[in-house]
Amino acid sequence: MRRIDLKTILQHTVSSLYGDLVTRPTGQKVRNGVERELASLDGEQVVVIDFGTVRCLDISCADEIVGRILLDHGHARTIVLQGVDTSHCDAIEQVLERHQIAVVARDRTGRIRVLGPVQETARRAFGELTRRGAAAPEELAARLEVSPDVARRALAELLARRLVRACHDGAVAVSAP
Amino acid sequence: MTRIVEVPVSFDDRSFDQFAKSMGQPGNGRLLFDAHANKWASPYGLVNLLAAGQAAAEHGERPLLTIPDDRDVAHYWARAGFFELAGQWFEVHGRPPRVTLTHSSDVLLEITPVRGTDDVHGVVNHIQDRASAILSGELGLRATATLGFAMALSEACQNIVEHAGTSGWVAVQSYTWRRRLGRRVVVIAVADAGVGFRRSLEGTQASRYGDRWSDATALEAALFQGASRYRDPGRGQGLQGISRYVSRWSGKLSVRSGAARIAVVPAWDDDVPLTDGLPPFPGSQVLMIIPAQTAG
Repeated sequence: MRRIDLKTILQHTVSSLYGDLVTRPTGQKVRNGVERELASLDGEQVVVIDFGTVRCLDISCADEIVGRILLDHGHARTIVLQGVDTSHCDAIEQVLERHQIAVVARDRTGRIRVLGPVQETARRAFGELTRRGAAAPEELAARLEVSPDVARRALAELLARRLVRACHDGAVAVSAP
Repeated sequence: MTRIVEVPVSFDDRSFDQFAKSMGQPGNGRLLFDAHANKWASPYGLVNLLAAGQAAAEHGERPLLTIPDDRDVAHYWARAGFFELAGQWFEVHGRPPRVTLTHSSDVLLEITPVRGTDDVHGVVNHIQDRASAILSGELGLRATATLGFAMALSEACQNIVEHAGTSGWVAVQSYTWRRRLGRRVVVIAVADAGVGFRRSLEGTQASRYGDRWSDATALEAALFQGASRYRDPGRGQGLQGISRYVSRWSGKLSVRSGAARIAVVPAWDDDVPLTDGLPPFPGSQVLMIIPAQTAG
């Protein structure tokens, strides 16, 4: 797992005076900085993008740093957002909805959830995997009180979006440490 | 020959169309913006007066401006930072009060030029330092709402940087609306004298609308469909984000450009969602109003 601290990148790539991720040009420079770090990693490593020290995140920056990175790299790499607060979520959710993509996020209290549009059963399945650990489709179906086919489809969606990982026991939620 | 444009006695978003109409009257000659009778000007009035000055200066001789006779009013204009910027676009007549910008509690952000990305960073940084106590203390918004407020401010300012083709101004003020609402509000006003929404979006949107393309359809496309002048699908989300934010806090968003105005209207306001055929005015004018939250 590799942690990328956005404020550090912001201050290296834009200005050491800035603490807010605002404006499209700032977002583009920070995205370039994140992509340079991604290029140095192998494809299997989970990447944690840390918002913990970011104050304000506007939609333009959320689009560059979350939207564009997920669109360009999310198909091949598992990405988790960490340290997101309510106001970050507002901007991120809008961007994810626009692009119809989703991501795992851990807030400052440690709560893990999926941000972005996913089917309701898939969202519940993710919650179950987060709370009670790995599960096979049949077990998940029992926990969610749905048919195995519905549980399989939910897991397939989560796997395709890299929100969970396949394991011996079925699937496990992706999460930051 | 001089043509007089009267600055309304009470100059805010409600009297702005009257001001735009006066400015747009046919006639040649140097413009005189006459504010001597002004008794009150909102941040919206003041940033748009600067926009009017810029537009007039760029189309002819630098206009004249008479300052308010009322010293308290002139003092407020000075505290809001107006006179520091007015000299660039107006030949100012009258002696503006000399004030030290002491960061009074009601003026959360003096009128601030927005020319580029650095200015937006400066505005966002400043407002978070200054506004959090007002927003959470006086308006009863949750602490996290301050960051959303900064987000909305950032997106509004970026509209200038990315779409106006010129610089603009932003101002933020808190005050009590006794008659209009009976509550305290925070008002954000953003204005520029640039190309406006219709021209900015023309290249990517006009063909979809054909003969219907106008200031009004351009505003609808921007606010409701997230249209952008860029073909990047991630663009054009800013106004929608602002709209979501003000709606969450029962606020108002109004965007005027050219001869149209579009608004997200809360229950406490009697504005209409879309108005066309207004007196044309250069650039765009954005107004956000966040009221104090009522209990329950």
